[in-house]
Amino acid sequence: MGKRTVIRETILLVEDNADEAELAELAFARLNAEYDLQIVANGEEALDFLFASGRYCDRPDYRKPALVLLDIDLPQLNGFDVLRALRSSAAYHHTPIAFLTTSDENADIEEGYALGVNSYLQKPLGFDQFAQLLQDVSHYWLKLNTRVH
Amino acid sequence: MQLLGSGYQWDYLKQALKRHGIGRRLLLSIIVFSSVVTLVATAVQLLTDYQRDVSLIKSRLADIDSSYMASISASLWNLDVSQLKLQLEGIRHLPDVSSVAVYEVGNAVSKPLKIELGKFEAESAIVREYAITHTFAEDSRTIGILRVEASLTQVYARLWDKAIVILLSQGVKTFLVSLFILYVFYRLVAVHLGRIAQYLSDYNIDQTSPLTLARDRRSHPDELDLVVTSFNALTAKLEDAYEHMRQVNQALADDIVARRRAEEEVKHLNAVLEERVKQRTAELEAANGELASFCYSVSHDLRAPLRRIEGFRRILAEQIEERCNEQQRHYLGRMESGAQEMSEMIDSFLQLSRATQSELHISQVDLSALVRHYFAQLSALEPERRVELTIEDGVVVEADHRFLAVLVDNLVHNAWKYTAREACARIAFGCQSADNGERQFFLRDNGAGFDMKYAGRLFSPFTRLHKASEFEGIGIGLATVQRIVARHGGRIWAEAEPGKGASFYFTFWDGKTDRDQGNDITG
Repeated sequence: MGKRTVIRETILLVEDNADEAELAELAFARLNAEYDLQIVANGEEALDFLFASGRYCDRPDYRKPALVLLDIDLPQLNGFDVLRALRSSAAYHHTPIAFLTTSDENADIEEGYALGVNSYLQKPLGFDQFAQLLQDVSHYWLKLNTRVH
Repeated sequence: MQLLGSGYQWDYLKQALKRHGIGRRLLLSIIVFSSVVTLVATAVQLLTDYQRDVSLIKSRLADIDSSYMASISASLWNLDVSQLKLQLEGIRHLPDVSSVAVYEVGNAVSKPLKIELGKFEAESAIVREYAITHTFAEDSRTIGILRVEASLTQVYARLWDKAIVILLSQGVKTFLVSLFILYVFYRLVAVHLGRIAQYLSDYNIDQTSPLTLARDRRSHPDELDLVVTSFNALTAKLEDAYEHMRQVNQALADDIVARRRAEEEVKHLNAVLEERVKQRTAELEAANGELASFCYSVSHDLRAPLRRIEGFRRILAEQIEERCNEQQRHYLGRMESGAQEMSEMIDSFLQLSRATQSELHISQVDLSALVRHYFAQLSALEPERRVELTIEDGVVVEADHRFLAVLVDNLVHNAWKYTAREACARIAFGCQSADNGERQFFLRDNGAGFDMKYAGRLFSPFTRLHKASEFEGIGIGLATVQRIVARHGGRIWAEAEPGKGASFYFTFWDGKTDRDQGNDITG
């Protein structure tokens, strides 16, 4: 049990835009490296990392993501496809997944919840607010929320 | 003239006698009248003959006096019986004398002489007695009486024979004349009446041949000719009238056809128009939809880079905060508020786009609560502001909640914004009933107001009636509000005066509006 305090939990961020990814990295940096942030640029890469296949075949088990932050608008496999794949797998059936997007389209929100997303988060304009949001969502899902054992 | 020539004519005559037709009545009338005339004429003739015969007898008897009396007187005076008898015999042979007798009269005669010839009849006879006088020395005295009797039997017999002959001949004549008259009647009248009747019963208004009778030519027209002429004139008039009626009918029919054609044309034009309207509506809807989806994707695509600009600006500001001077800090601040403004603009675009595109979900919406909610939000941001709020409670409408939230947000935001410079700001929300019973909602403020001559531009997108330096905003809020009101089948209008404030009025569901789609289906 003592090890758990050393091993930081992994948060997977799927973001195809490099600038967005960098901003997210900077925002997470404000959290004093509390979490292990892994950023991938598309849906295929995300699934490779999640299931430790392809280029992430040597991804250690302890780095299995405890929280997935998904952008919807992704090339090829989009956010919904990734969500569907995770919800239909035993390994990630209960894993908290949040959409993190600039869109607030009702249709997207509805579809996301229908497919089993846990949160739908709209990226705020201000960086401070963005960093706060990331902190809040991570804190909530990884610390406050009680998970399935 | 061929008399009773053909079998047909015989048939007609037979039938004419059988039928209760004019022929039979004519025949009966002629027979009766002719019989009566014959009887009267016969009676008159017989009476005349009788009187002539009787007077002939009487004159003969009178002649006896003058021609026989002197000789008979002498014979009787002389008592010459044989002579007397000869004389009496002479008288008896006179026509109609049936018996003669002489009787001697006188005081001195004891056994008077009496000679009778012939048989005396008591009746049907004319009896005459003559005094037989003898003149002797101026002294005239009656010596006997001559009695003559004339019988009327002969007269009666002659009369009887004559009566029979007259009656027989008259009867035959009457019958023949009647038949002849009947035939003439048939030839002159009945056959033509039959033809006229036939013509009339076969009469067809469309036939062109006039009524003609098979008759010999006459120099002067008779009654039948007049009948035919009049009838033909009548049919001509009838045909004219019929033709006129036909023309009128035809004109009417043409009129109806023309009218129907015009109606069809109108229908067709209407259909074309409707089709065109549909097409235009579809095009417009498509254009609206395209605009809205363009708006949507542009907004989304703008949001991400704007976020990055603002994000990196923030990080930059953080990193150089220690070193930068006031002016550089000011620039960074301007960049931030520019990004903020643009973000709001994008949000407005999205709102307008959604007000145009999204489906309506109708439910009971508490407008009062919405107004209160948005004022509370604004008050929280600027707690130092003093605003006197009057909100009517329980104003509920059937509408789409999200849209009405946007609507109230915009109106309340405007009222809040334009009363910012009032020392004593007053904002009121409520509902009033118009004269026609229509519910009109209003939001009133005593803020900056505007000139009513710009009221027409108020609800157009990107229209601002105030300088951006005075009141911030991009002028898309009221366009969105108007769009939302329109989607709810209502109207929105404003009353305002510069410096005295503005009142916004709006209604819902004015006309027939499809509440599911929020499209005005009255066109």
